[in-house]
Amino acid sequence: MSNNIEEEIRNMVSEILEVPVDKLTPEVDFFQDLEVDSLKAIEIVAAFEKKYRIIVPEEDIPKIRNLGQLIEYTENITG
Amino acid sequence: MPWDQEKIKSVLPHREPFLFLDEVIMIEGSQKIVAVKRIAKEEEYFRGHFPGNPIVPGVLMIEAMAQASVILFSLDRPHIAETEPDYYLGKVKADFLAPAYPGDQLIVEANKVKFLDNAAITDTLIKVNDRIAAKANLVFSIQQK
Repeated sequence: MSNNIEEEIRNMVSEILEVPVDKLTPEVDFFQDLEVDSLKAIEIVAAFEKKYRIIVPEEDIPKIRNLGQLIEYTENITG
Repeated sequence: MPWDQEKIKSVLPHREPFLFLDEVIMIEGSQKIVAVKRIAKEEEYFRGHFPGNPIVPGVLMIEAMAQASVILFSLDRPHIAETEPDYYLGKVKADFLAPAYPGDQLIVEANKVKFLDNAAITDTLIKVNDRIAAKANLVFSIQQK
């Protein structure tokens, strides 16, 4: 995973959640720490799918709870 | 198969005077629907919006697009719609490009972007006389009771 893609994902999530990039550490929990609700979650998923031209299976969504896991997920699906 | 207003009412909880779809004229699976709303000349809101210069309020166009989106969601997730959940519009990104007037027919189109059991995103638009009058990206939540 290049730093470039990592930065892309961080910027994308930052923009949707309206959270400064420097506060988006890999471990900060989307739901508990950033109060991401179902609306924000689907916005992240839709933006992610559009950017990487993939479909995220619905059952995978609850497993992605922080930026680190999202980056790892991207690594797995993009090879 | 087109839907009349009775069929629409079987999915939407909305009723007059806040039901903004008359019929569904086209369904493409659960990817897209096209519906119609005929704007009567004597709609009550024209008395105030605006006196002597009646124009369909943009917020009502958004409501029509949201209602079309709920119908589309019900086609994609009938098992959720059957539970008669509450639908809450959460985010709207809209452009209003042309006005609609008394007597106009709104062609309301809703396209699926992403649907989950508890949230949905649609791209929608309204045409009046073959011209795009409004378009909107809608994000809404679905809360089962």
